Amino acid sequence: MNVLSCSMNTLRGLYDISGVEVGQHFYWQIGGFQVHAQVLITSWVVIAILLGSAFIAVRNPQTVPTATQNFFEYVLEFIRDVSKTQIGEEYGPWVPFIGTLFLFIFVSNWSGALLPWKIIELPHGELAAPTNDINTTVALALLTSIAYFYAGLSKKGLGYFSKYIQPTPILLPINILEDFTKPLSLSFRLFGNILADELVVVVLVSLVPLVVPIPVMFLGLFTSGIQALIFATLAAAYIGESMEGHH
Amino acid sequence: MASMIVASSNAKPLSPLPIPSQSPKPRIQIPQIKIPSSEKIPQKLLKLSSSALKSLSAVAVTSLAFSPPSLAAEIEKAALFDFNLTLPIIMVEFLVLMFALDKIYYSPLGNFMDERDNAIKEKLNSVKDTSEEVKQLEEQAAAVMRAARAEISAALTKMKKETQLEVEQKLAVGRKKIEAELQEALANLERQKEDTIKSLDSQIAALSEEIVRKVLPVQ
Repeated sequence: MNVLSCSMNTLRGLYDISGVEVGQHFYWQIGGFQVHAQVLITSWVVIAILLGSAFIAVRNPQTVPTATQNFFEYVLEFIRDVSKTQIGEEYGPWVPFIGTLFLFIFVSNWSGALLPWKIIELPHGELAAPTNDINTTVALALLTSIAYFYAGLSKKGLGYFSKYIQPTPILLPINILEDFTKPLSLSFRLFGNILADELVVVVLVSLVPLVVPIPVMFLGLFTSGIQALIFATLAAAYIGESMEGHH
Repeated sequence: MASMIVASSNAKPLSPLPIPSQSPKPRIQIPQIKIPSSEKIPQKLLKLSSSALKSLSAVAVTSLAFSPPSLAAEIEKAALFDFNLTLPIIMVEFLVLMFALDKIYYSPLGNFMDERDNAIKEKLNSVKDTSEEVKQLEEQAAAVMRAARAEISAALTKMKKETQLEVEQKLAVGRKKIEAELQEALANLERQKEDTIKSLDSQIAALSEEIVRKVLPVQ
């Protein structure tokens, strides 16, 4: 009994450090509407990181790139490559959308794992990755839906809707259903992965505070990157799919 | 939160203990674990070793004791799927970020990279072209060299001839001069000989008289 309560005491101390508050939000009121302040704050930080680093690195491009410029060129080529493989030759106008999706999700996910948000205490809830909140992921997924509808409609006009009865009209309900499952799967995949990732780390830290959580943390970083890539690739694939001709 | 997870995972094997509870919320069941009424415990569960049961309940109790009283209430409010104005705000933020990044990152750096690629390609192509040019230049250089060599050899032979001519001329002049001098010297000698002979002739008479006188002293 003694041993048990003793270990419980130490664990209790660790819970205080490692506790994550699922579904707890720090609310702000904006004109009668509620917003999740912790999501907005972290998203501002993420946006500031992205804009600031990009501005510093690209401010004065050199023909022989410096280290940072080289990194940003590599990232841009990576984004272009993803867009090109998924969308095809007309990928140019979609690079900003795909790239921003990838960078925003990637930096958000990694910020949740790497930035010491715990230093800043909120009255309620806590700061974590913006992608930890369903609002963010659904917002991105809806933007993706809008994007691929826009891509299809601007490319083919109203003929775009003929794809719903394309192989055969029997598939009409399934094709319509797809438009709902796409954003749903996109948003829930990202949300679930990031939330589960943080929870797994927290639970492991609470159970075994030393060493054991480290591989899981690295796994978390890995999955975070993969999730960002998956989201961007799927968005590009949807856009490419709605732009491609059937004939 | 983590303590809640531990608590609830520990409470699970115990939750059927008290009663087929009417309340759907597990955290309302947990306090009841503290006072398990032995009559209601199913026989099956009583077969568990009492020590294991004790430790299990102890874990539950301790973890509960440490969790603040407000925790249950807070978690009841937990809203994972709480959609509100955050969603459109994030959308707007994302669009703003997209346009800003396009302005300061994708477009400038992309254009810069494309321009550099084109410049490098042009340079490569021009290098391929200059290989022809280099050949031409090399041929030209070879021709110039050949011409120069021919010119030089021509000049050399011409100069050789000239110098030979000059040398011969000078030689001839020298020879003539020497011959003239020789002739003069010979003429001089001849004249002197003649002079000497003449003077000898004139002296011969006197000499012969003198000789005669000396030979024939007494007459």
